[in-house]
Amino acid sequence: MFISINNVCFSYPNSESPALDHFSMSIEKGEVISILGRSGSGKSTILRLLAGLEKPTTGSLTIQDEVLFDDKTFLQPEKRGIGMVFQDYALFPHMTVAENILFGLFQLNRADKKKRLQEVLELVELEGFEKRYPHQLSGGQQQRVAIARAIAPNPHLILLDEPFSNLDAELQVKIRKDLREILKKANITSIFVTHDENDAHALADRIVKLKDGCIDLIGRPCDLLGIHPHPTPQFEQVVETRELATV
Amino acid sequence: MQRKFTNFNSWTVTAAVIMLLLFLPNLTIVTGIFTPTNENWEHMKEFVLSSFIKTSLILISATAILTITIGLSLAWLIAQYQFPLRNFLKWALILPLSIPPFIGAYTYHGIVNYTGIVQSTLRDHFGLNLSPAFFDIMNLPGAIFIYTMFLYPYVYTITRIFLSQQSASLIESARMLGKGPWRTFFQVVIPISRVSIIGGASLVVLEVLNDYGVVKYYGIQTFTTAIFQTWFGLGDIESSIKLAASLMGFVILILMIEKILRGRRQYSYSTTKVRPLPLIKLNGWRAGIATAYGLLILSLGFFVPIAQLIDWMILTIGTIPMGEFLTYVKNSVLVAGISATAIIVFALIVGNFSRLVHGKIAKLLPKLTILGYSIPGAVIAVAVVTAFIALDRFLVPLYRLIGMETTLFLSVSLVMLISAYIIRFFAIGYNSIESGYDKIGTDFRDASRLLGVGLTKTFFKVDVPMLKGAIISGFILVFIDILKEIPLTLILRPFNFDTLSTKAFQYASDEKIMEASQASLLIVGISALAIVVFYKFLEKEPN
Repeated sequence: MFISINNVCFSYPNSESPALDHFSMSIEKGEVISILGRSGSGKSTILRLLAGLEKPTTGSLTIQDEVLFDDKTFLQPEKRGIGMVFQDYALFPHMTVAENILFGLFQLNRADKKKRLQEVLELVELEGFEKRYPHQLSGGQQQRVAIARAIAPNPHLILLDEPFSNLDAELQVKIRKDLREILKKANITSIFVTHDENDAHALADRIVKLKDGCIDLIGRPCDLLGIHPHPTPQFEQVVETRELATV
Repeated sequence: MQRKFTNFNSWTVTAAVIMLLLFLPNLTIVTGIFTPTNENWEHMKEFVLSSFIKTSLILISATAILTITIGLSLAWLIAQYQFPLRNFLKWALILPLSIPPFIGAYTYHGIVNYTGIVQSTLRDHFGLNLSPAFFDIMNLPGAIFIYTMFLYPYVYTITRIFLSQQSASLIESARMLGKGPWRTFFQVVIPISRVSIIGGASLVVLEVLNDYGVVKYYGIQTFTTAIFQTWFGLGDIESSIKLAASLMGFVILILMIEKILRGRRQYSYSTTKVRPLPLIKLNGWRAGIATAYGLLILSLGFFVPIAQLIDWMILTIGTIPMGEFLTYVKNSVLVAGISATAIIVFALIVGNFSRLVHGKIAKLLPKLTILGYSIPGAVIAVAVVTAFIALDRFLVPLYRLIGMETTLFLSVSLVMLISAYIIRFFAIGYNSIESGYDKIGTDFRDASRLLGVGLTKTFFKVDVPMLKGAIISGFILVFIDILKEIPLTLILRPFNFDTLSTKAFQYASDEKIMEASQASLLIVGISALAIVVFYKFLEKEPN
């Protein structure tokens, strides 16, 4: 098992109901996982817990036998070797594209840095954009810089928080395809969070549907196709079918 | 509990130490209440304390009413109507804030006294010899006039920004429902801007309570002047601590009244779209009156005193040796620069702590430290001196060890003055830095940490460059405030250490008001420049 999440619980301060309630799952190396759910279902919380930006109340998290969190351990985010692409990309506005990507490569020597920079720029097809600042790029280009920056230090795992929410519909289709290619080419295990069924079906090897902090459904996109064909259940019947299928 | 302090580290410790140092000296005032009373205090309590309270109440309530009347009427005119010179008045009406009230006080005294321009013109050109008592402004109404003319911009600015950015739909609905301009003003504008009006007026009240220059010069007995007198005149520090404690009680009362007046009605508006209020064009005599009113206030609060100061400067140029003058400039820049830098550094640390650590305590502590701004300078001065003398006593063995003869070292050094500035003005810097942190959010910091960069390195490589605007504006605001400061500087400066403001105050107190003009003009010039730049910058900021 590459990544394992065991019985993780979490609630935000000043909130009575838990954001995540005894959540468990395991992920294989190189898998692309999509976490699907409405807002408030706890999907972004999973990413923040894996990244170390929040601390679970109970449970354990491990990657490749290294414990990130359990009763005794809490590994700080900077020590986890996990990359993250933020919803609004969080590209440092005072740094160029190259500086943004090199930010996480401080342990490499100069030649290796340069080599890695070219590699990832090639991967996201942004060669020649090194000297631009984030505000001089389009939304799609910014997103690719954010992916390049997250991939550059060779993380064990990359987390993507609503990667398409800031892009217009036409661009979304193209970038979805590009993103899957980039992730597969780099052979990086990845988890992305979305509220859009189409994104999840197009990108993921496996889909996890969340409801009120618990797993509602889990399976390959093709397995889930018949169960929930529309993004929003409109009739009572649909809900019943779903429950039957889950059992 | 453990979860809340996930990031317990050197940042937390440093921030805690800073907050403690900022807060502790004020505790000495609280402990002062419990020390046994002496004869002076009994005497004061019996004969003068009630008159201080009465005078202070008259000063603050009259000033509050007048600044609200002027500030709100100007804000409404500028926010709602178009008339000649409106665009100039819009920002120029802030300028009176650049003149510290004590400079305004002695300038106006110079204008209307027996040898001043008003009386001499009346005598020489019109042969009128009016009773000098008619022109006497060195009294309570005079002080109220001075505070009003130089402090109304607090109410004006806050209310105008609120009205022009946030009230469009409400005011337009009132119009559509058939309310005329006057009824709209009284039934809609005043109630919706209540929070801004009270916010501005409470700043005015705190400034009045803090003031020492005006009341001292005009010979009015208030808490601040009494604290000085008891301390330096009677040499009775215990009674002055008790006076300071009473004043602090008074301030806390005012803050509570402010809270009650603001009430729960925070009038947050229902749409997030901020639409500016469209201007209504005034014509004919109406436009004339609007322009004249704006110009009258601006002249009284800025042009008249500035013209007089320039006149005096021309008359006295060369009488103060340049070298001496430059020393005051150097001293002012030195203390203001060091203090402002320290405040910004501390604010960055405390602000970072506040967003790293979740939980109520972490949010409450910085709020407590910024209380310093509501505590009048004279109180902080008493607190800081008490704390530093205690510190010196504690350190005497150390002084002996390194071969120093003295028993008082820190309490006669600049360190004491700078610490007091830091305590008093921390809030100004912190507000600026905190809003900067709010604006950048936490994503950039998280992104940096997930790229393997630790908290401290992230702070220098990501947070500080992104906070540049907040750092610069915070620094300027603090710097200007320290440049104008009077009570703390007068009490706590080392022997023979003069700044531009203490020198201006000293010249004026020695009846050398003309000589005071050069230092005053320099203070006003720097402040005016900073204020204009700052507010232009603020206007451009997207909401």
